[in-house]
Amino acid sequence: MTLVNDSTTVPAEPTAARPPTVGEQLAARFPNAILGASTFRGDTTLTVAPTGLTDVARALRDELGFDHLSNLSSTDWSRYRGYAGKERFSTIYHFTSTRTGERIGLKVFAPGGDSPAVPSLAALWAGANWPEREVYDLMGIKFDGHPDLRRILLPNNWPNHPLRKDIPRGGETVPFSMIWEDEEFQSFGKQIVEAKSVQPVPPKQADANKHMILNMGPQHPSTHGVLRVVAELDGETVVAAYPDIGYLHSGFEKQGETIRYKDFLPYTDRMDYVSAMSNNLGYSLAVEKLMGVEIPPRAQVIRVICAELQRLASHLVWLGTHIMDAAGVSHALLMYTFREREQLSDIFELISGARLTISYIRPGGVWKDVPPSFVERVQDVLKAFPARIDEYERMITENPVWLGRARGVGKLTAEQCLSLGVTGPLLRASGVPFDYRKARPYSGYENYDFKVPVMTEGDTYARYLVRLEEMRQSLRIIDQALKNLPDGPVWTADRKMALPPRQELDTSMEALIHHFKLMTEGFVPPMGEVYHSVENPRGELGFYLVSDGTAVPYRLHVRAPSFHNLQATDTMARGSLIADLVLVIGTIDIVLGDVDR
Amino acid sequence: MDYLRNFFVNLARSWTAWIGGFLPDWGVNLVNYLVVGIILVLMPVIATLTLTWMERKVIGRIQNRIGPNRVGPWGIFQAFADAVKMLIKEDIVPSGADKPVFNLAPILIAGAAALLWAVVPFGRGMIGQNLNIGALYVVAVGSITTIAVIMAGWSSNNKFALLGAFRVVAQLLSYEIPMVLSIATVVLVTGTMRMGDIVERQVAPFIVVLPVAFITYLLAAAAETGRAPFDLLEADSEIVAGYFVEYSGLKFGWFYIAEYGNLFAIAAITTTLFLGGWRGPFVSVAPALGPFYFVIKSVAVIFVLMWIRGTWPRFRIDQMLAFAWKVLVPASLANLLWSAIVLQIGRQPEQLGPTIVQMILLLVGNVAILAVTGLLLGRAARRYAAQHGWAGA
Repeated sequence: MTLVNDSTTVPAEPTAARPPTVGEQLAARFPNAILGASTFRGDTTLTVAPTGLTDVARALRDELGFDHLSNLSSTDWSRYRGYAGKERFSTIYHFTSTRTGERIGLKVFAPGGDSPAVPSLAALWAGANWPEREVYDLMGIKFDGHPDLRRILLPNNWPNHPLRKDIPRGGETVPFSMIWEDEEFQSFGKQIVEAKSVQPVPPKQADANKHMILNMGPQHPSTHGVLRVVAELDGETVVAAYPDIGYLHSGFEKQGETIRYKDFLPYTDRMDYVSAMSNNLGYSLAVEKLMGVEIPPRAQVIRVICAELQRLASHLVWLGTHIMDAAGVSHALLMYTFREREQLSDIFELISGARLTISYIRPGGVWKDVPPSFVERVQDVLKAFPARIDEYERMITENPVWLGRARGVGKLTAEQCLSLGVTGPLLRASGVPFDYRKARPYSGYENYDFKVPVMTEGDTYARYLVRLEEMRQSLRIIDQALKNLPDGPVWTADRKMALPPRQELDTSMEALIHHFKLMTEGFVPPMGEVYHSVENPRGELGFYLVSDGTAVPYRLHVRAPSFHNLQATDTMARGSLIADLVLVIGTIDIVLGDVDR
Repeated sequence: MDYLRNFFVNLARSWTAWIGGFLPDWGVNLVNYLVVGIILVLMPVIATLTLTWMERKVIGRIQNRIGPNRVGPWGIFQAFADAVKMLIKEDIVPSGADKPVFNLAPILIAGAAALLWAVVPFGRGMIGQNLNIGALYVVAVGSITTIAVIMAGWSSNNKFALLGAFRVVAQLLSYEIPMVLSIATVVLVTGTMRMGDIVERQVAPFIVVLPVAFITYLLAAAAETGRAPFDLLEADSEIVAGYFVEYSGLKFGWFYIAEYGNLFAIAAITTTLFLGGWRGPFVSVAPALGPFYFVIKSVAVIFVLMWIRGTWPRFRIDQMLAFAWKVLVPASLANLLWSAIVLQIGRQPEQLGPTIVQMILLLVGNVAILAVTGLLLGRAARRYAAQHGWAGA
């Protein structure tokens, strides 16, 4: 079907006399490195020559204040409309200023055809290490100067780089699809065969004769899922900790690039399954930004309420399991927090029918309006929770053993946090007052009066206090949102995404066609690319979407907070005891579905 | 009625008289020893069956749950269901394990748990053997546990078990010293090591005379048996299950039995040494009440330990060792010294147990030691906080 959707036209950006933008400053400074600039939906993306990337990035960080490397991703352009045999791969970097909230993107077309290479940014941002490994793993782009370039999510001997467009989904060799005569049958029993393009690098384990290598996980009570930490121990002291991830990798990005925008929503539930609502919100906002649609105020307020309830629920799970790490399963707080979370899950069940994988916030609005008893139930939460949080505080905040265990453990300075790309409560506990709800408000967060708790100590105890205070601030936001809950529709009126009303179908042929197209094909965004991030309970959750003007995303990348935060494990645990390593993993508050995706 | 007043002793007398009717003297002794022995050996098993149920219920209520409620009324037969499950599970010996040692460890640890009961006085005259070195025996038998745990950790060929064994060496050996020192204080004050006589001479329960010794003993005993907050040997969130991670089936069951047998035993010894044992109102009239008082007091101690387990985080190994060596050992040494001085003041020849004046002096000294210890601990905590940038907190 080749019906053309008239909604693919891009609205012109207003241009007026103003001080030079960051892009213009950079273009003046590096005339040879900056090859072009484009702006789409307010996002500026500069195209940078590979040789100039390091210099431009350093200037961005040191001179222009873009100190946070938000997102690092890549695209294979070979199937893109208009691709004419230029460089096939590009990498994209999104930088955010933690002071002003400004964002700029750098795009680098990688030379080298099918075995591309770009300079590594790991020397500037230590946190570029894992994202670059991820890009190398899934897209096959090499990073020159990377300290430890090997696969991260897939096994070392995986035969291909699955996010490349010439690799079909599920295209890896599966032995039982062969017949006896196949010569490949010799690899039977070895489902994964050796890759020719990838040199397996053994994990760097230092002197194993002197130190004990302890495999914590993937089955271990306190790694919060299928995380494996290879801990190098000298007695009980952790010499180094290497997190090994990928056990839960399910190729969500590849999957997302084969289905329509709206069909990817249930997958977001299953990434960070402890805060599904926040993931729904992040993805919906990214898609809406790509589409350029407005969401009615009622839906926005409901979204804020749901996202904050989810933040409460997520922090409750964190609190319970964190204490469990420090005390063992017998500690009472675990069940207390789960009792409260039950109340929140009941609310989610009330509005969406599901408790864990909710898919309630959708691109275009929310699934359905909230039922009448919703307000009452949320008011119950508002009434009960302050006392409950005080109760938790009475249980452990002043407990001498907890103080001894949590203080001074897993320290991170603000510089280390920014360098490692750590976001969320970890960043704020280290003294950086950076919260996307304040820095780049979305869904009307600018209308609420709330504080971003910040502490400077940067240890496990500070993060504990920051998260407890965040729960109280969430309650404040919910209270204000409930009081100002407007009436009105909960789905966008923009016909690019909204179905025509039923009565119009009887009279208007155009409406009927439009209805048919939306139902069969799905909504179609214009060509372009956006990156949008929200403040997930764990940190910055970002979605990078590239549209080629069809109803299926051309490229869909998830910037997962747990993935980036988990990188800090080694920095935080080095030199401490094995008991602290457990607390460090707990204080990062990882969800393995989010890490591996 | 008179028979009921001293029911247990009278029962034993009637039993002895009855079997004495058709058995020679040596036969009566043999049968009696066997019966007492079997009862004592069964004590850890009985303790396990009752205390696991109690622990689940108590922890359940602390955690805002109901606890087991399916097997029998209030779930009281849950422990039997667990026992059956444990019996019919597969017994796995990991490849590479040191088999003889691996198999010996659970027997040794359960044996040590049973041996402790020999010197526990349940009531006046109700004691397996009123050994003249009873207190020393308690300490000595307790050390067998250490050996068994190291054997289990070493022989399992598992790194988590080995880490557990490392911790055992450090922890159990460190906490033995404050434990011995606090027992020594009681021995010094009563002038006897016989457990039965210690109870006889406790005119006032020593918890109000020697609170420092009581607290030290309870903490050290909790550490010795690996109870929270000192459960680093088996820290489930860190080293999974520690030294017994590789055990399954009945061998695992022996560790379980030893754990609860030891828990009951330390509660019983705490009761004997510090809570006046079987003493209580009307015991002089009706000695049969003694065992009831004894069990009630022991269960109260166990309840406190369970309460701690439900609400306190776990120590870290360095903090735990520092706590033993820098807090418990100095405090109990000071207490021992003060007791020795006080007992020399106005000492009567042939004196059994401390006099009222001595008890008051002991209490004053103990309160002073507690105050100084608390003060120093508070200062140390503030210093530690300041080190990590938490000044003024």
